[in-house]
Amino acid sequence: MAEKLKYDRGTLLSIFKTDRAEDFAALVVALAIVVLVVLFVPR
Amino acid sequence: MIYTKKSPWVLIIGVIMAGYAFLVQQGVLTGLMKMLHTSGHAGEMVTMGYIFGVIGIVVGLWQLVATPKEGSLDYYLSTVGGALLVLLCVFIVKYGAEPVFKLWGKASDAAIGWNFQTTLGLNYILLGIIVGMIVVNVFKIPAWAENGVRLSRLGLKSGVILLGALYSAAELRNLGGLSVVLIGFFVLGSVGMVLWLGRLRNIPNSMGGVLSAGMGVCGVSAAVASAPVVQAKSTEIAYTIGTILLWGVLMMFIFPPVGRALGMGYIQFGAWAGTGILNSAQVAAAALIYQPTGIETLKVAEIFNITRILFLPIIVIWLAVWYVQREAGAQKVNVGRVIFEKFPVFVLGFLLLFALSTTGIFAPAQHYKGKYFDNAIKESKLLTSEETSLLQSELGKVQREDQKAALERLIQNRKAMSIDHDTVLRGLANAKVLSKDANHVLKKAHSAVYHTAKRVKWFRTLIVWFFAFGLTGLGMQITFSSIKQAGGQPLFIGTVVGLTKAVGALIVIMLFVRETI
Repeated sequence: MAEKLKYDRGTLLSIFKTDRAEDFAALVVALAIVVLVVLFVPR
Repeated sequence: MIYTKKSPWVLIIGVIMAGYAFLVQQGVLTGLMKMLHTSGHAGEMVTMGYIFGVIGIVVGLWQLVATPKEGSLDYYLSTVGGALLVLLCVFIVKYGAEPVFKLWGKASDAAIGWNFQTTLGLNYILLGIIVGMIVVNVFKIPAWAENGVRLSRLGLKSGVILLGALYSAAELRNLGGLSVVLIGFFVLGSVGMVLWLGRLRNIPNSMGGVLSAGMGVCGVSAAVASAPVVQAKSTEIAYTIGTILLWGVLMMFIFPPVGRALGMGYIQFGAWAGTGILNSAQVAAAALIYQPTGIETLKVAEIFNITRILFLPIIVIWLAVWYVQREAGAQKVNVGRVIFEKFPVFVLGFLLLFALSTTGIFAPAQHYKGKYFDNAIKESKLLTSEETSLLQSELGKVQREDQKAALERLIQNRKAMSIDHDTVLRGLANAKVLSKDANHVLKKAHSAVYHTAKRVKWFRTLIVWFFAFGLTGLGMQITFSSIKQAGGQPLFIGTVVGLTKAVGALIVIMLFVRETI
Protein backbone atom coordinates (compact mmCIF):
# COMPACT_ATOMS: atom_id res chain seq x y z
CA MET A 1 0.00 0.00 0.00
CA ALA A 2 2.86 2.31 0.93
CA GLU A 3 4.38 1.48 -2.45
CA LYS A 4 1.19 2.59 -4.18
CA LEU A 5 1.14 5.83 -2.26
CA LYS A 6 4.73 6.66 -3.15
CA TYR A 7 4.61 5.74 -6.84
CA ASP A 8 1.51 5.22 -8.92
CA ARG A 9 3.69 3.81 -11.74
CA GLY A 10 6.30 1.06 -11.55
CA THR A 11 7.34 -0.58 -8.29
CA LEU A 12 9.50 0.42 -5.33
CA LEU A 13 12.60 -0.93 -7.09
CA SER A 14 11.89 -0.09 -10.71
CA ILE A 15 10.25 2.56 -12.85
CA PHE A 16 8.73 -0.26 -14.93
CA LYS A 17 5.51 -2.04 -14.08
CA THR A 18 6.83 -5.55 -14.74
CA ASP A 19 10.19 -7.32 -14.89
CA ARG A 20 9.57 -8.18 -18.52
CA ALA A 21 9.07 -4.53 -19.44
CA GLU A 22 12.34 -3.74 -17.68
CA ASP A 23 14.05 -6.63 -19.51
CA PHE A 24 12.94 -5.31 -22.86
CA ALA A 25 14.05 -1.80 -21.94
CA ALA A 26 17.48 -3.19 -20.97
CA LEU A 27 17.62 -5.12 -24.24
CA VAL A 28 16.81 -1.99 -26.20
CA VAL A 29 19.49 -0.02 -24.32
CA ALA A 30 22.10 -2.76 -24.87
CA LEU A 31 21.27 -3.20 -28.56
CA ALA A 32 21.36 0.56 -29.10
CA ILE A 33 24.86 0.59 -27.61
CA VAL A 34 25.91 -2.35 -29.79
CA VAL A 35 24.72 -0.51 -32.91
CA LEU A 36 26.54 2.68 -31.89
CA VAL A 37 29.77 0.82 -31.10
CA VAL A 38 29.68 -1.16 -34.36
CA LEU A 39 28.94 1.98 -36.37
CA PHE A 40 31.47 4.32 -34.79
CA VAL A 41 34.29 2.18 -33.37
CA PRO A 42 36.64 0.37 -35.77
CA ARG A 43 37.12 -3.33 -35.08
CA MET B 1 0.66 12.23 -9.90
CA ILE B 2 3.45 14.73 -10.69
CA TYR B 3 6.90 13.18 -10.35
CA THR B 4 9.11 16.17 -11.10
CA LYS B 5 10.28 17.88 -7.91
CA LYS B 6 11.61 21.29 -8.83
CA SER B 7 15.18 21.65 -7.61
CA PRO B 8 18.32 23.42 -8.88
CA TRP B 9 20.40 20.31 -8.07
CA VAL B 10 19.88 18.58 -11.43
CA LEU B 11 21.27 21.67 -13.14
CA ILE B 12 24.09 21.99 -10.58
CA ILE B 13 25.19 18.35 -11.04
CA GLY B 14 25.09 18.83 -14.82
CA VAL B 15 27.33 21.91 -14.52
CA ILE B 16 29.73 20.06 -12.18
CA MET B 17 30.09 17.13 -14.59
CA ALA B 18 30.49 19.23 -17.72
CA GLY B 19 32.88 21.54 -15.83
CA TYR B 20 34.95 18.58 -14.69
CA ALA B 21 35.15 17.26 -18.26
CA PHE B 22 36.23 20.74 -19.44
CA LEU B 23 38.97 20.97 -16.78
CA VAL B 24 40.28 17.52 -17.72
CA GLN B 25 40.22 18.43 -21.41
CA GLN B 26 42.14 21.67 -20.77
CA GLY B 27 44.79 19.80 -18.78
CA VAL B 28 44.09 21.71 -15.55
CA LEU B 29 43.83 18.45 -13.57
CA THR B 30 46.78 16.69 -15.20
CA GLY B 31 48.98 16.88 -12.07
CA LEU B 32 46.27 15.46 -9.81
CA MET B 33 45.44 12.72 -12.32
CA LYS B 34 49.09 11.71 -12.59
CA MET B 35 49.32 11.48 -8.82
CA LEU B 36 46.20 9.28 -8.72
CA HIS B 37 47.31 7.26 -11.79
CA THR B 38 44.04 8.06 -13.57
CA SER B 39 45.57 9.74 -16.63
CA GLY B 40 44.68 6.69 -18.73
CA HIS B 41 40.99 7.43 -18.13
CA ALA B 42 41.17 11.05 -19.30
CA GLY B 43 39.28 10.36 -22.54
CA GLU B 44 36.58 8.48 -20.66
CA MET B 45 36.23 11.29 -18.11
CA VAL B 46 35.82 13.89 -20.86
CA THR B 47 33.31 11.84 -22.90
CA MET B 48 31.18 10.73 -19.95
CA GLY B 49 31.46 14.13 -18.23
CA TYR B 50 30.19 16.01 -21.27
CA ILE B 51 27.41 13.53 -22.08
CA PHE B 52 26.00 13.44 -18.53
CA GLY B 53 26.75 17.12 -17.95
CA VAL B 54 24.85 18.30 -21.03
CA ILE B 55 21.88 16.05 -20.17
CA GLY B 56 21.87 17.47 -16.64
CA ILE B 57 22.05 21.09 -17.82
CA VAL B 58 19.28 20.70 -20.42
CA VAL B 59 16.90 18.71 -18.20
CA GLY B 60 17.75 20.81 -15.13
CA LEU B 61 16.90 24.04 -16.96
CA TRP B 62 13.73 22.50 -18.37
CA GLN B 63 12.57 21.39 -14.93
CA LEU B 64 13.22 24.84 -13.48
CA VAL B 65 11.46 26.74 -16.23
CA ALA B 66 8.58 24.50 -17.34
CA THR B 67 5.50 23.60 -15.34
CA PRO B 68 5.32 19.80 -15.17
CA LYS B 69 2.11 18.13 -16.28
CA GLU B 70 1.05 14.64 -15.30
CA GLY B 71 2.11 12.10 -17.92
CA SER B 72 4.94 10.06 -19.37
CA LEU B 73 7.18 13.04 -20.15
CA ASP B 74 7.07 14.13 -16.51
CA TYR B 75 7.53 10.53 -15.32
CA TYR B 76 10.60 9.69 -17.40
CA LEU B 77 12.28 13.11 -17.24
CA SER B 78 11.98 13.07 -13.45
CA THR B 79 14.32 10.04 -13.38
CA VAL B 80 17.21 12.11 -14.75
CA GLY B 81 17.91 13.76 -11.37
CA GLY B 82 18.33 10.47 -9.52
CA ALA B 83 20.33 8.92 -12.35
CA LEU B 84 22.69 11.92 -12.31
CA LEU B 85 23.07 11.71 -8.53
CA VAL B 86 24.08 8.05 -8.87
CA LEU B 87 26.45 8.88 -11.74
CA LEU B 88 28.04 11.69 -9.72
CA CYS B 89 28.71 9.16 -6.94
CA VAL B 90 30.22 6.80 -9.55
CA PHE B 91 32.49 9.61 -10.80
CA ILE B 92 33.68 10.29 -7.25
CA VAL B 93 34.22 6.59 -6.50
CA LYS B 94 35.82 5.63 -9.80
CA TYR B 95 38.13 8.59 -10.30
CA GLY B 96 38.60 9.65 -6.68
CA ALA B 97 37.99 7.05 -3.98
CA GLU B 98 39.32 3.95 -5.75
CA PRO B 99 42.61 5.57 -6.92
CA VAL B 100 43.14 7.04 -3.42
CA PHE B 101 42.55 3.64 -1.82
CA LYS B 102 44.98 2.11 -4.31
CA LEU B 103 47.65 4.61 -3.26
CA TRP B 104 46.96 3.95 0.43
CA GLY B 105 47.06 0.21 -0.25
CA LYS B 106 50.48 0.49 -1.88
CA ALA B 107 51.69 2.63 1.02
CA SER B 108 50.48 0.06 3.55
CA ASP B 109 52.14 -2.68 1.46
CA ALA B 110 55.46 -0.83 1.65
CA ALA B 111 55.06 -0.10 5.37
CA ILE B 112 53.68 -3.34 6.79
CA GLY B 113 53.78 -5.72 3.81
CA TRP B 114 49.99 -5.87 3.47
CA ASN B 115 48.02 -4.19 0.69
CA PHE B 116 44.62 -3.80 2.32
CA GLN B 117 43.08 -2.34 -0.85
CA THR B 118 43.65 -5.42 -3.02
CA THR B 119 43.12 -7.86 -0.15
CA LEU B 120 39.75 -6.41 0.82
CA GLY B 121 38.79 -5.88 -2.80
CA LEU B 122 38.11 -2.17 -2.28
CA ASN B 123 37.38 -1.52 -5.93
CA TYR B 124 34.78 0.74 -7.53
CA ILE B 125 32.05 -1.88 -7.17
CA LEU B 126 32.34 -2.39 -3.44
CA LEU B 127 33.03 1.29 -2.81
CA GLY B 128 30.03 2.25 -4.97
CA ILE B 129 27.72 0.08 -2.88
CA ILE B 130 29.17 1.50 0.33
CA VAL B 131 28.79 5.09 -0.92
CA GLY B 132 25.19 4.36 -1.94
CA MET B 133 24.46 2.92 1.49
CA ILE B 134 26.01 5.96 3.19
CA VAL B 135 23.94 8.31 1.04
CA VAL B 136 20.64 6.60 1.85
CA ASN B 137 21.33 5.88 5.51
CA VAL B 138 23.14 9.05 6.58
CA PHE B 139 21.81 11.77 4.27
CA LYS B 140 18.59 10.24 2.82
CA ILE B 141 17.78 10.35 -0.89
CA PRO B 142 16.50 13.82 -1.78
CA ALA B 143 12.95 13.95 -3.17
CA TRP B 144 14.10 15.15 -6.62
CA ALA B 145 16.31 12.03 -6.97
CA GLU B 146 14.03 9.31 -5.59
CA ASN B 147 12.40 8.33 -8.90
CA GLY B 148 15.71 8.04 -10.76
CA VAL B 149 17.32 5.73 -8.20
CA ARG B 150 14.78 3.15 -9.38
CA LEU B 151 16.73 2.93 -12.67
CA SER B 152 19.55 0.96 -11.05
CA ARG B 153 18.18 -2.48 -12.00
CA LEU B 154 17.79 -1.37 -15.59
CA GLY B 155 21.47 -0.41 -15.57
CA LEU B 156 22.49 -3.78 -14.14
CA LYS B 157 20.44 -5.71 -16.67
CA SER B 158 21.88 -3.71 -19.55
CA GLY B 159 25.36 -4.43 -18.18
CA VAL B 160 24.69 -8.17 -17.99
CA ILE B 161 23.43 -8.22 -21.59
CA LEU B 162 26.55 -6.38 -22.78
CA LEU B 163 28.76 -8.87 -20.91
CA GLY B 164 27.86 -11.40 -23.61
CA ALA B 165 29.92 -9.37 -26.09
CA LEU B 166 33.13 -10.14 -24.19
CA TYR B 167 33.21 -13.86 -24.93
CA SER B 168 34.56 -15.48 -28.07
CA ALA B 169 34.50 -18.93 -29.61
CA ALA B 170 38.29 -18.99 -29.19
CA GLU B 171 37.87 -18.71 -25.44
CA LEU B 172 35.38 -21.55 -25.44
CA ARG B 173 37.84 -23.76 -27.31
CA ASN B 174 40.47 -22.97 -24.69
CA LEU B 175 38.30 -24.14 -21.86
CA GLY B 176 38.77 -27.87 -22.25
CA GLY B 177 36.58 -30.72 -21.12
CA LEU B 178 38.00 -30.96 -17.61
CA SER B 179 37.05 -27.45 -16.57
CA VAL B 180 33.53 -27.88 -17.96
CA VAL B 181 32.98 -31.16 -16.11
CA LEU B 182 34.57 -30.03 -12.86
CA ILE B 183 32.97 -26.61 -12.79
CA GLY B 184 29.63 -28.00 -13.92
CA PHE B 185 29.59 -30.46 -11.04
CA PHE B 186 30.55 -27.91 -8.41
CA VAL B 187 28.42 -25.04 -9.73
CA LEU B 188 25.28 -27.15 -9.98
CA GLY B 189 26.13 -28.89 -6.69
CA SER B 190 26.59 -25.59 -4.83
CA VAL B 191 23.37 -24.13 -6.18
CA GLY B 192 21.44 -27.27 -5.29
CA MET B 193 22.97 -27.37 -1.81
CA VAL B 194 22.14 -23.74 -1.04
CA LEU B 195 18.54 -24.24 -2.20
CA TRP B 196 18.25 -27.40 -0.09
CA LEU B 197 19.75 -25.76 3.01
CA GLY B 198 17.59 -22.70 2.45
CA ARG B 199 14.48 -24.87 2.55
CA LEU B 200 15.70 -26.61 5.72
CA ARG B 201 16.45 -23.28 7.41
CA ASN B 202 13.22 -21.67 6.21
CA ILE B 203 14.76 -18.66 4.49
CA PRO B 204 12.69 -16.85 1.83
CA ASN B 205 12.88 -18.36 -1.65
CA SER B 206 14.18 -15.07 -3.04
CA MET B 207 17.06 -15.09 -0.52
CA GLY B 208 17.90 -18.75 -1.23
CA GLY B 209 17.78 -18.17 -4.98
CA VAL B 210 20.09 -15.18 -5.10
CA LEU B 211 22.50 -16.74 -2.58
CA SER B 212 22.66 -19.98 -4.56
CA ALA B 213 23.67 -18.16 -7.76
CA GLY B 214 26.27 -16.09 -5.90
CA MET B 215 27.75 -19.12 -4.13
CA GLY B 216 27.60 -21.35 -7.19
CA VAL B 217 28.76 -19.12 -10.03
CA CYS B 218 30.93 -16.07 -9.50
CA GLY B 219 29.70 -13.64 -6.92
CA VAL B 220 28.38 -10.19 -7.69
CA SER B 221 27.48 -10.60 -11.37
CA ALA B 222 25.69 -13.89 -10.71
CA ALA B 223 23.80 -12.49 -7.74
CA VAL B 224 22.75 -9.49 -9.78
CA ALA B 225 21.75 -11.55 -12.83
CA SER B 226 19.63 -13.92 -10.78
CA ALA B 227 18.07 -11.31 -8.48
CA PRO B 228 15.21 -10.29 -10.81
CA VAL B 229 14.38 -13.92 -11.56
CA VAL B 230 13.74 -14.70 -7.90
CA GLN B 231 12.50 -11.17 -7.12
CA ALA B 232 15.26 -10.66 -4.54
CA LYS B 233 15.21 -7.60 -2.31
CA SER B 234 18.15 -5.21 -2.10
CA THR B 235 18.97 -6.47 1.39
CA GLU B 236 19.13 -10.05 0.13
CA ILE B 237 21.52 -9.07 -2.66
CA ALA B 238 23.60 -7.14 -0.12
CA TYR B 239 23.77 -10.18 2.19
CA THR B 240 24.82 -12.40 -0.71
CA ILE B 241 27.56 -9.99 -1.78
CA GLY B 242 28.75 -9.67 1.82
CA THR B 243 28.90 -13.46 2.26
CA ILE B 244 30.78 -13.94 -1.02
CA LEU B 245 33.32 -11.21 -0.31
CA LEU B 246 33.93 -12.49 3.22
CA TRP B 247 34.54 -16.01 1.93
CA GLY B 248 36.57 -14.80 -1.04
CA VAL B 249 38.97 -12.88 1.20
CA LEU B 250 39.29 -15.75 3.70
CA MET B 251 39.98 -18.33 1.00
CA MET B 252 42.49 -16.09 -0.72
CA PHE B 253 44.63 -16.35 2.41
CA ILE B 254 43.92 -20.01 3.19
CA PHE B 255 44.29 -21.59 -0.28
CA PRO B 256 48.00 -20.81 -1.03
CA PRO B 257 49.48 -22.24 2.22
CA VAL B 258 47.24 -25.33 1.93
CA GLY B 259 48.35 -25.80 -1.69
CA ARG B 260 52.01 -25.55 -0.70
CA ALA B 261 51.54 -27.95 2.22
CA LEU B 262 50.00 -30.50 -0.15
CA GLY B 263 52.67 -29.94 -2.79
CA MET B 264 50.11 -29.07 -5.47
CA GLY B 265 51.34 -28.33 -8.99
CA TYR B 266 50.45 -25.15 -10.83
CA ILE B 267 47.63 -26.74 -12.80
CA GLN B 268 46.18 -28.42 -9.74
CA PHE B 269 46.25 -25.24 -7.70
CA GLY B 270 44.87 -23.11 -10.55
CA ALA B 271 42.01 -25.57 -11.02
CA TRP B 272 41.31 -25.62 -7.28
CA ALA B 273 41.35 -21.83 -6.92
CA GLY B 274 39.17 -21.34 -10.01
CA THR B 275 36.63 -23.85 -8.68
CA GLY B 276 36.67 -23.31 -4.92
CA ILE B 277 37.11 -19.55 -4.45
CA LEU B 278 33.86 -17.68 -4.89
CA ASN B 279 34.91 -14.30 -6.28
CA SER B 280 36.84 -13.65 -9.51
CA ALA B 281 39.20 -11.04 -8.06
CA GLN B 282 40.28 -13.31 -5.22
CA VAL B 283 40.75 -16.25 -7.63
CA ALA B 284 43.37 -14.22 -9.51
CA ALA B 285 44.93 -12.98 -6.27
CA ALA B 286 45.26 -16.50 -4.80
CA ALA B 287 46.81 -17.78 -8.04
CA LEU B 288 49.39 -14.98 -8.07
CA ILE B 289 50.14 -15.46 -4.37
CA TYR B 290 50.75 -19.15 -5.07
CA GLN B 291 52.99 -18.55 -8.08
CA PRO B 292 54.42 -15.03 -8.00
CA THR B 293 57.22 -15.92 -10.44
CA GLY B 294 55.06 -16.95 -13.40
CA ILE B 295 51.56 -16.88 -14.81
CA GLU B 296 50.87 -20.58 -15.42
CA THR B 297 48.70 -20.92 -12.30
CA LEU B 298 46.84 -17.72 -13.08
CA LYS B 299 46.05 -18.86 -16.61
CA VAL B 300 44.58 -22.16 -15.42
CA ALA B 301 42.61 -20.43 -12.67
CA GLU B 302 41.20 -17.93 -15.18
CA ILE B 303 40.09 -20.69 -17.56
CA PHE B 304 38.15 -22.28 -14.72
CA ASN B 305 36.77 -18.93 -13.64
CA ILE B 306 35.49 -18.15 -17.15
CA THR B 307 33.91 -21.60 -17.41
CA ARG B 308 32.09 -20.87 -14.18
CA ILE B 309 30.72 -17.58 -15.50
CA LEU B 310 29.46 -19.34 -18.64
CA PHE B 311 27.19 -21.43 -16.43
CA LEU B 312 25.30 -18.29 -15.43
CA PRO B 313 22.49 -18.59 -18.01
CA ILE B 314 21.87 -22.23 -17.02
CA ILE B 315 21.61 -21.25 -13.37
CA VAL B 316 19.25 -18.38 -14.16
CA ILE B 317 16.97 -20.72 -16.13
CA TRP B 318 17.05 -23.23 -13.26
CA LEU B 319 16.23 -20.54 -10.70
CA ALA B 320 13.48 -19.07 -12.88
CA VAL B 321 11.69 -22.43 -13.02
CA TRP B 322 12.47 -23.30 -9.38
CA TYR B 323 11.22 -19.99 -8.05
CA VAL B 324 7.89 -20.04 -9.80
CA GLN B 325 7.29 -23.66 -8.79
CA ARG B 326 8.09 -22.87 -5.17
CA GLU B 327 6.03 -19.70 -5.12
CA ALA B 328 3.10 -21.47 -6.67
CA GLY B 329 2.97 -23.79 -3.64
CA ALA B 330 1.49 -27.23 -4.14
CA GLN B 331 -0.14 -26.31 -7.45
CA LYS B 332 1.26 -28.02 -10.51
CA VAL B 333 3.16 -25.62 -12.69
CA ASN B 334 3.42 -25.82 -16.45
CA VAL B 335 7.18 -25.46 -16.83
CA GLY B 336 6.98 -24.53 -20.51
CA ARG B 337 4.52 -21.78 -19.75
CA VAL B 338 6.62 -20.62 -16.82
CA ILE B 339 9.68 -20.33 -19.01
CA PHE B 340 7.70 -18.48 -21.65
CA GLU B 341 6.07 -16.08 -19.22
CA LYS B 342 8.78 -15.61 -16.63
CA PHE B 343 12.01 -16.26 -18.45
CA PRO B 344 14.16 -13.15 -18.11
CA VAL B 345 14.54 -11.67 -21.57
CA PHE B 346 17.79 -10.00 -20.57
CA VAL B 347 19.42 -13.46 -20.35
CA LEU B 348 18.40 -14.03 -23.96
CA GLY B 349 20.04 -10.70 -24.68
CA PHE B 350 23.24 -11.97 -23.06
CA LEU B 351 23.11 -15.09 -25.25
CA LEU B 352 22.36 -12.99 -28.32
CA LEU B 353 25.43 -10.82 -27.76
CA PHE B 354 27.54 -13.90 -27.10
CA ALA B 355 26.31 -15.37 -30.40
CA LEU B 356 27.15 -12.09 -32.16
CA SER B 357 30.57 -12.10 -30.52
CA THR B 358 31.38 -15.56 -31.87
CA THR B 359 30.82 -14.26 -35.41
CA GLY B 360 33.82 -11.96 -34.99
CA ILE B 361 31.78 -8.78 -35.39
CA PHE B 362 33.31 -7.20 -32.29
CA ALA B 363 36.86 -8.55 -32.44
CA PRO B 364 39.01 -11.02 -34.40
CA ALA B 365 37.77 -14.51 -33.59
CA GLN B 366 40.93 -15.57 -31.74
CA HIS B 367 40.77 -12.70 -29.23
CA TYR B 368 41.15 -13.49 -25.58
CA LYS B 369 39.70 -10.98 -23.14
CA GLY B 370 39.67 -8.35 -25.85
CA LYS B 371 43.28 -8.83 -26.93
CA TYR B 372 44.47 -10.75 -29.93
CA PHE B 373 47.86 -11.95 -31.17
CA ASP B 374 49.18 -10.72 -34.48
CA ASN B 375 52.92 -10.55 -35.07
CA ALA B 376 52.76 -9.16 -38.60
CA ILE B 377 54.07 -5.84 -37.28
CA LYS B 378 55.89 -2.85 -38.74
CA GLU B 379 59.71 -2.60 -38.66
CA SER B 380 59.42 0.23 -36.13
CA LYS B 381 57.68 -2.10 -33.67
CA LEU B 382 60.49 -4.68 -33.73
CA LEU B 383 63.08 -4.70 -30.93
CA THR B 384 66.10 -2.49 -31.67
CA SER B 385 69.68 -3.80 -31.78
CA GLU B 386 70.36 -2.06 -28.42
CA GLU B 387 67.41 -3.87 -26.87
CA THR B 388 68.41 -7.28 -28.20
CA SER B 389 72.00 -6.64 -27.01
CA LEU B 390 70.68 -5.92 -23.52
CA LEU B 391 68.70 -9.17 -23.54
CA GLN B 392 71.74 -11.05 -24.86
CA SER B 393 73.88 -9.72 -22.01
CA GLU B 394 71.39 -11.03 -19.44
CA LEU B 395 70.82 -14.43 -21.01
CA GLY B 396 73.05 -16.06 -18.38
CA LYS B 397 70.65 -15.05 -15.59
CA VAL B 398 67.89 -17.30 -16.93
CA GLN B 399 67.86 -20.76 -15.33
CA ARG B 400 64.74 -22.37 -16.82
CA GLU B 401 65.54 -24.03 -20.16
CA ASP B 402 62.19 -23.15 -21.81
CA GLN B 403 62.55 -19.50 -20.82
CA LYS B 404 66.15 -19.41 -22.02
CA ALA B 405 65.18 -20.86 -25.40
CA ALA B 406 62.30 -18.39 -25.70
CA LEU B 407 64.60 -15.47 -24.94
CA GLU B 408 67.12 -16.63 -27.55
CA ARG B 409 64.30 -16.90 -30.09
CA LEU B 410 63.16 -13.38 -29.26
CA ILE B 411 66.70 -12.03 -29.69
CA GLN B 412 66.96 -13.78 -33.04
CA ASN B 413 63.59 -12.64 -34.45
CA ARG B 414 63.19 -9.33 -32.57
CA LYS B 415 59.53 -10.18 -31.89
CA ALA B 416 57.41 -12.90 -30.27
CA MET B 417 56.75 -15.64 -32.81
CA SER B 418 53.62 -17.29 -31.40
CA ILE B 419 51.13 -17.12 -28.55
CA ASP B 420 53.03 -19.85 -26.68
CA HIS B 421 56.33 -18.08 -27.24
CA ASP B 422 54.88 -14.86 -25.86
CA THR B 423 53.40 -16.71 -22.87
CA VAL B 424 56.80 -18.09 -21.84
CA LEU B 425 58.33 -14.61 -22.21
CA ARG B 426 55.61 -13.11 -20.03
CA GLY B 427 56.33 -15.76 -17.40
CA LEU B 428 59.99 -14.76 -17.53
CA ALA B 429 59.12 -11.07 -17.13
CA ASN B 430 56.80 -11.87 -14.24
CA ALA B 431 59.56 -13.89 -12.52
CA LYS B 432 61.70 -10.70 -12.37
CA VAL B 433 64.87 -12.66 -13.06
CA LEU B 434 66.17 -10.02 -15.46
CA SER B 435 66.96 -6.36 -14.77
CA LYS B 436 64.23 -3.72 -14.80
CA ASP B 437 65.37 -2.46 -18.23
CA ALA B 438 65.37 -5.97 -19.71
CA ASN B 439 61.90 -6.63 -18.32
CA HIS B 440 60.79 -3.39 -19.93
CA VAL B 441 62.05 -4.73 -23.28
CA LEU B 442 60.08 -7.95 -22.75
CA LYS B 443 56.94 -5.94 -22.04
CA LYS B 444 57.53 -3.92 -25.19
CA ALA B 445 57.86 -7.13 -27.21
CA HIS B 446 54.56 -8.34 -25.75
CA SER B 447 52.74 -5.07 -26.45
CA ALA B 448 54.00 -5.08 -30.03
CA VAL B 449 52.28 -8.36 -30.93
CA TYR B 450 49.16 -8.08 -28.78
CA HIS B 451 46.51 -5.70 -30.03
CA THR B 452 43.46 -4.46 -28.24
CA ALA B 453 40.15 -5.07 -29.95
CA LYS B 454 38.76 -1.54 -29.84
CA ARG B 455 35.11 -2.54 -29.80
CA VAL B 456 35.65 -4.97 -26.93
CA LYS B 457 37.54 -2.24 -25.09
CA TRP B 458 34.54 0.08 -25.50
CA PHE B 459 32.16 -2.61 -24.34
CA ARG B 460 34.32 -3.22 -21.27
CA THR B 461 34.32 0.50 -20.44
CA LEU B 462 30.55 0.75 -20.85
CA ILE B 463 29.92 -2.42 -18.85
CA VAL B 464 31.97 -0.97 -16.01
CA TRP B 465 29.77 2.11 -16.10
CA PHE B 466 26.53 0.15 -16.18
CA PHE B 467 27.61 -2.01 -13.24
CA ALA B 468 28.94 0.95 -11.29
CA PHE B 469 25.69 2.83 -11.90
CA GLY B 470 23.50 -0.15 -11.05
CA LEU B 471 25.39 -1.18 -7.93
CA THR B 472 25.71 2.33 -6.54
CA GLY B 473 21.98 2.78 -7.10
CA LEU B 474 21.43 -0.60 -5.49
CA GLY B 475 23.40 0.62 -2.46
CA MET B 476 20.98 3.56 -2.28
CA GLN B 477 18.13 1.07 -1.82
CA ILE B 478 19.76 -0.69 1.13
CA THR B 479 18.88 0.68 4.54
CA PHE B 480 20.47 -0.61 7.75
CA SER B 481 17.07 -1.21 9.29
CA SER B 482 16.10 -3.53 6.43
CA ILE B 483 19.43 -5.41 6.66
CA LYS B 484 18.77 -6.12 10.33
CA GLN B 485 15.50 -7.77 9.37
CA ALA B 486 17.28 -10.24 7.05
CA GLY B 487 18.94 -12.21 9.90
CA GLY B 488 22.16 -14.27 9.90
CA GLN B 489 20.94 -17.27 7.89
CA PRO B 490 22.73 -16.34 4.63
CA LEU B 491 26.10 -16.32 6.39
CA PHE B 492 25.45 -19.73 7.96
CA ILE B 493 24.40 -21.30 4.66
CA GLY B 494 27.24 -19.57 2.82
CA THR B 495 29.75 -20.94 5.33
CA VAL B 496 28.51 -24.53 5.01
CA VAL B 497 28.37 -24.46 1.21
CA GLY B 498 31.64 -22.51 0.80
CA LEU B 499 33.54 -25.00 2.98
CA THR B 500 31.97 -28.02 1.29
CA LYS B 501 32.82 -26.67 -2.14
CA ALA B 502 36.43 -25.84 -1.24
CA VAL B 503 37.10 -29.21 0.43
CA GLY B 504 35.18 -31.20 -2.21
CA ALA B 505 37.03 -29.49 -5.06
CA LEU B 506 40.35 -30.12 -3.33
CA ILE B 507 39.66 -33.85 -2.98
CA VAL B 508 38.47 -34.26 -6.58
CA ILE B 509 41.41 -32.30 -8.00
CA MET B 510 43.99 -34.17 -5.93
CA LEU B 511 42.49 -37.47 -7.08
CA PHE B 512 41.87 -36.77 -10.75
CA VAL B 513 43.88 -33.79 -11.98
CA ARG B 514 47.44 -34.38 -13.09
CA GLU B 515 49.95 -31.75 -14.08
CA THR B 516 49.25 -32.22 -17.75
CA ILE B 517 45.71 -31.74 -18.98
